[in-house]
Amino acid sequence: MAKPRVQTAYGDSPDRWEAQLRKGALEMAALASLWKGRLYGLEIIRFLENNSSMTLAEGTIYPILNRLKLEGMLTSEWVEAEAGHPRKYYSLTEIGQQRLRMMAEAWFDFSRGLSQLLEPVLENQEISQ
Amino acid sequence: MTTELVIDSYPTSLRHHLGPLTIAEREEIVREIGAHVRDSAEESGSPVERVLARLGPPEDLAALYREGLLISAASRSFSPLVLLRAALRLATKGIFGVLVFFLGLFGYVIGANLVLTALVKPFLPEHTGVWFDGNGNFMSAGIQFPDPGSSAHEVLGLWFIPLAMTVGSLSLLATTWSIRASLRISQQWRAKL
Repeated sequence: MAKPRVQTAYGDSPDRWEAQLRKGALEMAALASLWKGRLYGLEIIRFLENNSSMTLAEGTIYPILNRLKLEGMLTSEWVEAEAGHPRKYYSLTEIGQQRLRMMAEAWFDFSRGLSQLLEPVLENQEISQ
Repeated sequence: MTTELVIDSYPTSLRHHLGPLTIAEREEIVREIGAHVRDSAEESGSPVERVLARLGPPEDLAALYREGLLISAASRSFSPLVLLRAALRLATKGIFGVLVFFLGLFGYVIGANLVLTALVKPFLPEHTGVWFDGNGNFMSAGIQFPDPGSSAHEVLGLWFIPLAMTVGSLSLLATTWSIRASLRISQQWRAKL
């Protein structure tokens, strides 16, 4: 059965709230997708789809990658494919790795605290079900 | 518009709307988007025009790139002009941007005013400061011409200089950081999931 859409007092639906939450984590997710090595744009989109629950519109990632590159967090290079056409691969710079580490620490600290706070909410739901 | 026209016009239109970027940056972006279109069409077996539709209109894609450029320039800059220009651009996108622009303008005016009065105080000590009347009620603050009169007394003296300088500088810094954070948040909000 479909979840009922709950409208909050300020007119923001939970779906919209969840979308904003995901959007807030987008920059961190894009950096994290490159932690293990270089990827090109479409690979980053597919990596995020497969390894997180983030499905991006195709035009979204490229301007973000471009900005992260301008800010010195990413570097890029065109690589000729054996078959097909050249692709632009992105890698994390030292600054990007440091920033991502800092983001990951902040994320885990924040989510640990929040999880403790929210645990009783879900426990009550389980009991009532 | 026919399929061929859409496919042919997309890179031209994207290049056109990337106007403020350098030629090298524009060509790099068009080349990367071209590579994406080929990859995505091959992977999904979709026609190219469907991949282009998924990318969104070229003017919207170009606007995201231009905003990214503005944000990255603003994130390195302390110049109120650069930051207010970026905030003004944000103001064209909606009410959030209008608020950021006017609050930013307000923050800069207050901060600059305080720093300026702190610098003027040593040269015009009688005309600069914070005044209260004989009953302890606040009268005025800043630079006053003519001076507020014999019933008013200036309460801070030379302490006005470090206080105004500190509060003014903090106001300028807080405004700078707030505009930067707002620009970043705005780009996140506009991302399509």
